[in-house]
Amino acid sequence: MTQNEIVTGVLVDEVTLTLEEAAQACGVEPQWIVERVEAGFLGDGSVQMTYWRFASHDLTRARRMRQLESAFDAVPELAALVVDLQEEVARLRRRLGSV
Amino acid sequence: MEFRDYYQILGVAKTATADEVKKAYRRLARKYHPDVSKEPEAEKHMKEVNEANAVLSDPEKRAAYDQLGSRYRAGQEFQPPPDWDAGFEFSGRGPSPTDDADFSDFFANLFGHTGRARHGADDFRMRGQDRHAKILIDLADTYHGATRTITLHVPQADEHGRVGVREHSLHVQIPKGVKEGQHIRLSGQGSPGLGGSPAGDLFLEVQFAPDARYRIEGRDVFQTLPVTPWEAALGASIEAPTPSGAVQVKVPGGSQNGRRLRLKGRGIPGASPGDLYLVLDVVLPPADSDKARELYATMARELDFDPRGKVRG
Repeated sequence: MTQNEIVTGVLVDEVTLTLEEAAQACGVEPQWIVERVEAGFLGDGSVQMTYWRFASHDLTRARRMRQLESAFDAVPELAALVVDLQEEVARLRRRLGSV
Repeated sequence: MEFRDYYQILGVAKTATADEVKKAYRRLARKYHPDVSKEPEAEKHMKEVNEANAVLSDPEKRAAYDQLGSRYRAGQEFQPPPDWDAGFEFSGRGPSPTDDADFSDFFANLFGHTGRARHGADDFRMRGQDRHAKILIDLADTYHGATRTITLHVPQADEHGRVGVREHSLHVQIPKGVKEGQHIRLSGQGSPGLGGSPAGDLFLEVQFAPDARYRIEGRDVFQTLPVTPWEAALGASIEAPTPSGAVQVKVPGGSQNGRRLRLKGRGIPGASPGDLYLVLDVVLPPADSDKARELYATMARELDFDPRGKVRG
């Protein structure tokens, strides 16, 4: 059976995620996120805990880090480094585009 | 639906230890990782490997799969019997942090309902898991807004407990001004909740379809604009096609190949819209006629021009 619906979503960067929502979206406990923010691997580390909000970039980074830590037993420092490199590769590949 | 042999996909024996499964996954993840792999269909293989690992690295799912899989071969027509997983408790933590919405019907049929109410656990309440998928859009979609259709494969149990896969098409509004990498959050479109709890959310990560005409950096868009040598040399007012429609642009005289013309605010829309950069591509007319060859010969004779002067040192 095919069900059709028209749905309107919200942009995560316009309505950012709370700590709990970001944790739920990544399938981790909030403390997992807190530890990586405090270590400077996610977010900018400059905001107070009660105001922590997470945008698309944080969500992508957090999910990639979780995948690396889970699949490769990577320590958070190594996972963050790999994600940094993935982002740099993507940036350079975009620059290598047609224009 | 065909049976998937996850052991075959990972290249391990059915008796493989958890450590052997992990090692096989890591080896194949490196082999097929889309960022580095030169293998054909690397992305497709990576999805299969992720899916196999999501099952075989999870003791609960692996035990249930083993009980079911002993009677099937890869590719064989397959329909899970009712209550095939009776006696197994899945953690409901989600299959993997990868894009589970991309997993196969086979996986969705078996494990997409992880976390649903088990026998005798009707009073258990839990919000449904969030799901993740990618959505491919054209650059023009973010200039004007659009509606795109995605099809999800959603596991659903009938009144007899038999789990089937239902196609669920969503017509998603693409908001004007969305950037690559941003997530559109669709509330309540994730996995169903348990015991009357709300469903999870669906997060769609936006990607732009490859288009050789454009390069995108944040909200700035770079586009090649072919021009003739005389337009570049003498200056001209020309019509340029852009993602937001044709515009009249002034090419300054004395322009060289690669010069960027900035059209402020004509990049991706937003509160602070990006800029559109037209990168001049000076195209030489072919010397394929007597007239064209004569014109080139005249320039060679009449112009004091040495393009290699600077590189001689």
